[in-house]
Amino acid sequence: MNENIWGNISLIDQGKRYFSIGDLHLWLAYQNDEIWISYAYESDLEGPVDRDHPPKNAEWSRWAHKISSSELNIRPVFPDLPLVVHSEYTLKISPKTQIQIYTRIPIWVRISIADNDYQLIELPTAKLSRTWFGTPTEGELCYHAVTKARRDLSDVEQKPYLVSCPITISNRSEGELNFEHFCFRVERLSMYGYNNAFWADETQIIFQGEDLNSDVIMTGKLYDGITKDQLLSPPRKNIQKSLATRTFKIFEDALTFGR
Amino acid sequence: MNNFQDSVFNIYHYISEESLQLIFKVALIIVITLPFLYILRGWAKRFFTKKYAPHYGMLAGKLVFYSGLIIMLVTVMGELGISLAPLLGAAGIVGIAIGFASQTSVSNIISGLFLIAEQPFKVDDIITINNTTGIVMSIDILSVKLRTFDNQFVRIPNEMIIKTEVTNVTRFPIRRFNGVVSVAYKENIGRVRELLMEVAEKNKFSLSEPEPLIIFDAFGQSSIDLRFLVWAPREDFIQLKNSIQEEVKAKFDEEGIEIPFPHVSLYAGSASEALPIKMVNKSDELADNENKESSN
Repeated sequence: MNENIWGNISLIDQGKRYFSIGDLHLWLAYQNDEIWISYAYESDLEGPVDRDHPPKNAEWSRWAHKISSSELNIRPVFPDLPLVVHSEYTLKISPKTQIQIYTRIPIWVRISIADNDYQLIELPTAKLSRTWFGTPTEGELCYHAVTKARRDLSDVEQKPYLVSCPITISNRSEGELNFEHFCFRVERLSMYGYNNAFWADETQIIFQGEDLNSDVIMTGKLYDGITKDQLLSPPRKNIQKSLATRTFKIFEDALTFGR
Repeated sequence: MNNFQDSVFNIYHYISEESLQLIFKVALIIVITLPFLYILRGWAKRFFTKKYAPHYGMLAGKLVFYSGLIIMLVTVMGELGISLAPLLGAAGIVGIAIGFASQTSVSNIISGLFLIAEQPFKVDDIITINNTTGIVMSIDILSVKLRTFDNQFVRIPNEMIIKTEVTNVTRFPIRRFNGVVSVAYKENIGRVRELLMEVAEKNKFSLSEPEPLIIFDAFGQSSIDLRFLVWAPREDFIQLKNSIQEEVKAKFDEEGIEIPFPHVSLYAGSASEALPIKMVNKSDELADNENKESSN
């Protein structure tokens, strides 16, 4: 990240602005009462990035707004779909055991008009592939992410485009929980800024058994040192604090997909 | 003269005051009920579309409208003093006669009821019947109306749909693209698998789960045939189909993987010996001819 991207920025003072965060390169401009936004991802670039101009394959999008405002608000938000998070190394959780892990996921950048908070665009800071969580006949579209499922984040290098999410997993079943992947419903989480890093409030997942739904509870508990005043973005879906849903299981019979 | 005009143009000479009142009353019933029914139909359609699906909206709208229309007609007939009993009796006799003459229509109506109950598809689904694929516009009493992708209107009788195999393309939320990729016998299949997985991973319409599959299909006549199976959300299926095959071609070109075309080998009498070919150097031949001419 070359310059602080977050907060209110004025385009009229400095003309064209360039930011980069994660894999995202962002160009913003204001001309003829219009806001111009262009973006490209690291993988799309063929050479070094030109801070003054987006690459040829990146197009400008234009916004004409009823209030001719050149001031934009840029803030971090959670992804717009749930994430199916795969653990890099399988973790087996014994019966009647509770553990806390941390997973770090890429944030989205929301650009809105500063005066009235009218949302212009949302862009991921890393390109995530999509995946399906459910059965062939019903389920939900999610992003695919990989986590190291760390137990401690104190020695981990901070990355400005990742949000750290504390997750408590309780295995209340009689069997072992093979934690390979789980559906992380991030749209119900809030994001906080603390020590130049992004943090989510705690999610608690209670595993009841293979054939039963897991209870997913947004406890609202914050990481040590974070207060409610440090809130950067509220949850996308401000609904019930808990839900019973499939969280660990994806497909019963993957072999049938090849037929 | 005035007496003549009075007698000709006075409406009361032709129609009684009671009849006029009756006509006014009937007209009033129609004028009030019809717009009310249209409003009620719109409301039912919107409500059920929003709460359930467009299919239910359309059905609810029709049910409300036609029920209301029947009630209005019965009321109007009651006002006009037309008894329903003889009409229903006559309808019974006429019904038998019409029934024989309209077996197809009745069959379509009953098939329509089955279609509504069974729900093999709904309004806005994409279906294939025989060789026709299109978006369902409406499911009516006699027929189903489709709009094909080249913007043609197709009416299919309900009876035919009940009798024929119907494929609902958009029933489930995800679909699989079944591609066939052929490579030359000399290629390393492991490497080809890696490249195909890379293409599937990078394609923005494909899904990571269910995982893409590559199945060794057959030793073909000129190629090794692989099945390349990739999943996508149903709304992205066409984009996936369109993009991933182009990407496979580009990747194979980049990596020098040969996509063969049918090869035919010709032998002159024996399979073990190649066809004899004599190489002729045209310039040498010309030079020989010139030497011969000069010596002459």
